[in-house]
Amino acid sequence: MVTVNIDGKKVEVLEDTTILKAAELAGIWIPTMCFSELLEPYGVCRLCSVEVIRGKRSRIVTACNYPVREGLTVRTNSEKVKWIRKLIMELMYSRWPNVPVVKEMAVALGITESRFKSLEIDEAEDACILCGNCVNICRDVVKASVLAFEGIGIERKVVLPFNEKSDACINCGACAYVCPTGHIKIKSLEYERGALKDWHLGPKTAISIPTLQAVPRVPVIDKEACIKMQTEGCGICSTFCEPGAIKYDMQDEEIEIEVGQILITSGFQVMDLRQMPQYGYGRLDNVYSSLDFEHMLNSTGPTNGTIMCKDGSEPRAVAIVHCIGSRDENYHKYCSRVCCMYALKFAHLVKDRTPAEVYQFYIDMRAFGKGYEEFYKRLLDEGVNMIRGKVAEITEASQVNGNKPYLLVKCEDTLIGKFREIPVDMVILCPAIEPSADAEKIKKIFSISQSPDKFFLERHPKLDPVSTMTEGIFIAGCAQGPKDIPDSVAQASAAAARILSLISVGEVAVDPIKANVVQEYCSGCKICNNLCPYSAITFLEDKKVSDINEMLCKGCGTCVAACPASAISGKGFTDIQILAELEGLLTP
Amino acid sequence: MAYITYLMVCAGTGCVANQSMKIKETLIKELDKRGLSNEVSVVTTGCNGFCGVGPIMVVQPDGIFYQLLKASDIPYLVDEHFIKGRPVKKLMYIPDAKKPPIPKMSDIDFFKKQVLIALRNRGLIDPEKIEEYIAREGYSGLAKALTELKPDEVITEIKKSGLRGRGGGGFPTGIKWETMKKVPGDKRYVICNADEGDPGAFMDRSIIESDPHSVIEGMLIGAYAMGSSDGYVYIRNEYPIALERLLKAIGQAREYGLLGDNIFGTDFKFDIRVIRGAGAFVCGESTALMASIEGSPGEPRAKYVHTVEKGLFDCPTCLNNVETWANVPQIIMKGADWFTNIGTGDVTHDPWGGSKGTKVFSLTGKVVNTGLVEVPMGISLREIIFDIGGGIKDGKKIKTVQTGGPSGGFIPESMLDLPVDFDELTKVGSMMGSGGMIVADEDNCVVDMAKYFLNFTQEESCGKCVPCREGTKRMYDILENITVGKGTEEDLALLEDLSGMVVESSLCALGGSAPNPVITSLKYFRNEYLAHVRDKKCPAKACRQLNTYIIDEEICATLGHGCDVCTKSCPDYAIYGEPKKAHHIDQLKCHKCGACFDACNFKAIKIE
Amino acid sequence: MGKITIADLEKIRESTKRTLNLRLGAGRAKITVHMGTCGIAAGARDILSAIMKEIEERKLIDVIVTNSGCAGLCSKEPMITVELVNQPAPVKYVDLTSAKIKKIFDSHIMNNEIVKEYAIAMGSEQTA
Repeated sequence: MVTVNIDGKKVEVLEDTTILKAAELAGIWIPTMCFSELLEPYGVCRLCSVEVIRGKRSRIVTACNYPVREGLTVRTNSEKVKWIRKLIMELMYSRWPNVPVVKEMAVALGITESRFKSLEIDEAEDACILCGNCVNICRDVVKASVLAFEGIGIERKVVLPFNEKSDACINCGACAYVCPTGHIKIKSLEYERGALKDWHLGPKTAISIPTLQAVPRVPVIDKEACIKMQTEGCGICSTFCEPGAIKYDMQDEEIEIEVGQILITSGFQVMDLRQMPQYGYGRLDNVYSSLDFEHMLNSTGPTNGTIMCKDGSEPRAVAIVHCIGSRDENYHKYCSRVCCMYALKFAHLVKDRTPAEVYQFYIDMRAFGKGYEEFYKRLLDEGVNMIRGKVAEITEASQVNGNKPYLLVKCEDTLIGKFREIPVDMVILCPAIEPSADAEKIKKIFSISQSPDKFFLERHPKLDPVSTMTEGIFIAGCAQGPKDIPDSVAQASAAAARILSLISVGEVAVDPIKANVVQEYCSGCKICNNLCPYSAITFLEDKKVSDINEMLCKGCGTCVAACPASAISGKGFTDIQILAELEGLLTP
Repeated sequence: MAYITYLMVCAGTGCVANQSMKIKETLIKELDKRGLSNEVSVVTTGCNGFCGVGPIMVVQPDGIFYQLLKASDIPYLVDEHFIKGRPVKKLMYIPDAKKPPIPKMSDIDFFKKQVLIALRNRGLIDPEKIEEYIAREGYSGLAKALTELKPDEVITEIKKSGLRGRGGGGFPTGIKWETMKKVPGDKRYVICNADEGDPGAFMDRSIIESDPHSVIEGMLIGAYAMGSSDGYVYIRNEYPIALERLLKAIGQAREYGLLGDNIFGTDFKFDIRVIRGAGAFVCGESTALMASIEGSPGEPRAKYVHTVEKGLFDCPTCLNNVETWANVPQIIMKGADWFTNIGTGDVTHDPWGGSKGTKVFSLTGKVVNTGLVEVPMGISLREIIFDIGGGIKDGKKIKTVQTGGPSGGFIPESMLDLPVDFDELTKVGSMMGSGGMIVADEDNCVVDMAKYFLNFTQEESCGKCVPCREGTKRMYDILENITVGKGTEEDLALLEDLSGMVVESSLCALGGSAPNPVITSLKYFRNEYLAHVRDKKCPAKACRQLNTYIIDEEICATLGHGCDVCTKSCPDYAIYGEPKKAHHIDQLKCHKCGACFDACNFKAIKIE
Repeated sequence: MGKITIADLEKIRESTKRTLNLRLGAGRAKITVHMGTCGIAAGARDILSAIMKEIEERKLIDVIVTNSGCAGLCSKEPMITVELVNQPAPVKYVDLTSAKIKKIFDSHIMNNEIVKEYAIAMGSEQTA
């Protein structure tokens, strides 16, 4: 610690603290226009000039970057200092008379008028005052070096390379944050019309909350886009995070938890629509999947909930096509169950938000739930066009007479028995619900079964739809089969109840029927090991025999039948005993 | 057979621009034709300094000095001088129309008063041959330092010599080296600042062009003293000849093992990299120069940590200018005492106590002999201007001399007996600078000159800090107003106010010294300013907007017979008059461009 | 040439000393060969060659040779003027041959003794 004398006040500070900081501690105000806490002092506005006195010699230095030493005497309000500040302020005021921060500082320093009749007046209220903060933060902190000064002397200005938006810009907004005049603004990149190919994902900063309804609702860092992860630069987020919650060196980790029961809710995925090129998804503009459209409808989505075509215009007609890949011999034979209803919801919202015509192309309308049929009826009243027929193809109609291009939906209207071509601006496809891609893997891990449609198989479709053939493993939701939210919730609740009932019991009674290896007879052939559907048999390397874990064994008898040496037998009664019992029963 | 005569043809930038290479070619051709190529050798040398009369050739061993040569003179010259043995008088230096030509270089006033240390090899050796430098005691200083002196003893010697930075600041070199030596750190740099940016000054260029090895040797000695093994030369790319010779010299030094590892069989290693600057004036400032070497924009850094502690790449760095480095080998070889014999003051206890050695000046402006001169410190300005420079052109009166480049100050005629010395020049408001010296006569207007320098500095300001960027620009605007007759007396006060503030609060030395021409001219020539703002007149008649041009009817009619040249020269069609009769200027139409004044062959146009 | 040592510096210096002395105009002796038309006709060029040969054979580094115009005594050409640093006045030798040059070198240039039998005068004529 060193003692510094500032305007007669003695302050104790650490050596190498700047005069500006020391003065702040002493409660003395020093004006400055280019200082930022986030940056190394740049020292260019020179407004923080103060007089440093050493012996008889005095010297003008800038407070923002002058490191203090023991016994330093500083004067921040001498006549000389005041004179320098006023003149500097007069110079700045003459150039940027309308910038609020400049005006305020001018008033604070007693300047109301400038004697300099400047030719370079920038009348703007948000004029750039060349403080350099944006350039410095971009270079030193973000390490992107997108912004730079161009020109020398009075011609100096802040520019982008070649005055064009640079690819190196990560849209971090740091420059705008440090800009004292507001000259740099963050332009919301809301759905830049047609400019961005994958618009539905939208541009994002490297650190963001994945979606507004994300659970847990915390920001995550995108490793690919994060400058810190890529270049070791930046790290600016950690300086802002007061609790210090940001750790750049955190790694993905695997946690092992011992549990007694598992509920599998691995969900579903929607079919990849590119498999059906006739519908043009990913090829034609304005052909969306239901999830894309849901994203567009969202008020926090890329269009703020406005329904619009890619060129930003409002659609004149919208087609909603059901059963893409569902109830289809070539893809999935089953019905995906939820499409009809959300398709109706879409139709309702399109009607609600736009004056567009809506066409529903369906095979059968399946509005079977509580209140669903009523909703369907209401939609009919709203004037939604219902066309019964499977869509054959969607094509793009070329530009005619200067009209904008549109889409043609071709189908057979089976109710009137005619082939129809409906022109629309937007098509929403309702893809089939599929078991998740890794269902096969999950099946193997838990030794459970899949039905022919690849959804997980329940123990009994009517009596036990939540448990599986493996004890302690339960399933719920779309992992078991397509279903809507109420059904999923009901099933999951049932599974939870089943699990809880077992936990509350404390002890579990296990079925006594087990298989047993007679070690003397076992030849160690390992045939049984792979046959056991419950993975209950292991091979004891030291004794060279197989052994059955009784807790895992369900007593199914597969191994008993398969053992070539007849070394495995069911527990309880031996064959001879059973035969003896039978004999007893059958003997009159 | 050995040569008996050497023709030292100057190949400095000035002479090369005046076709000295063509003269060399013609000489070789003509000598060959006459079978003299075995007797007479043609050597290209660095700049002789007397650039005003280039191209120059000196015939050795006789020391005959030929000036203003043309290729067409060569056949005659070869015939006369080398066949018939008669030196050609009409190609010799003629100081005055009334006086006979001076054949010998050593008798010419311009050379007689000079003392050469930094430029001691100029005109004597071929700068592209390391052997010739070695023959002139070259690399002996380094040999002495490496074998006889410890690094600290080298520093002590430099300190004792009182050598001060020749780049402008005049900081004692020995102290700089000593401070740098004390800073810990393995990686340390020495830099040679060859980014000479003052308009009209070419001291450093000339040293590198005529004796590049002296700079390399100086850097080697400095590096040895300060424990550095990496050197940089920051040279502007607009100096193609200097750059080429420097690169050649570095290549030769490497070949000879004078750069690289184990120099002279010792553990000392050092090498030099050459960085080419793009010609920004501000890059002569040490921190801006280092930023430029690092690859950043050449802007000064706002730091209160000296570069000897934290300079290039944040390592201890010693930056000296070309002339300083070139002095070092001589001091080490001949000893500090030899050096302190030349110059002013006493530096035995205080390195700030005086100015020792010599200083190279670029003498330009209204003097008869313009060129590069190396003079001992302490010589008076009057001696430089009148004895070496040969006085003012066309017998005019001297008004002022401006020293130190665009950031220097004006020194009035009354102070011409001032000794040339770092502190004396600073005391009167000017500075040594890198050694510019511009002489102005009564036809020069100080306001106009101050405006010229301000225009230069405000254009070259990097624009980083407010006082320099905005302040110098406003000062220039005010001066511009004064020279066109729109100035007021308040403007003078404002000018003084601004000058003071810019000096005090600018970030680097560029802004810190830019107002010097204004401050000194206001101090010594206030009346001239007052004439501009009060009477709207320019006493020197240099500010044309303040002049009134009129035609002396008598001269026009009798001498010129109404020649009509002025009428044609006038862009405003303001001149009228019948042929063969006196012409007149319509003052309402006249925009005071002065074209007629320049055009009139009979001096019939007068300025009021 | 590879790396040099401090001793090498001295060698380089010696080998170029003559060249530099010539350029500096610094030497112990200066021989002027008068090479006007008359001199050249009388064989001044041979004399010059002979002088250069002597210098080279004797490895002299401090003797400067220069030429000048006719000295006026055309009948006595070829003719040279020898100036030594420590001698008060230059000496003019006339009617020279290569053999005479050798003798002049032997006694005058090397041993500072003027060869009186070849000399015509000491000193130069005054110039107005």
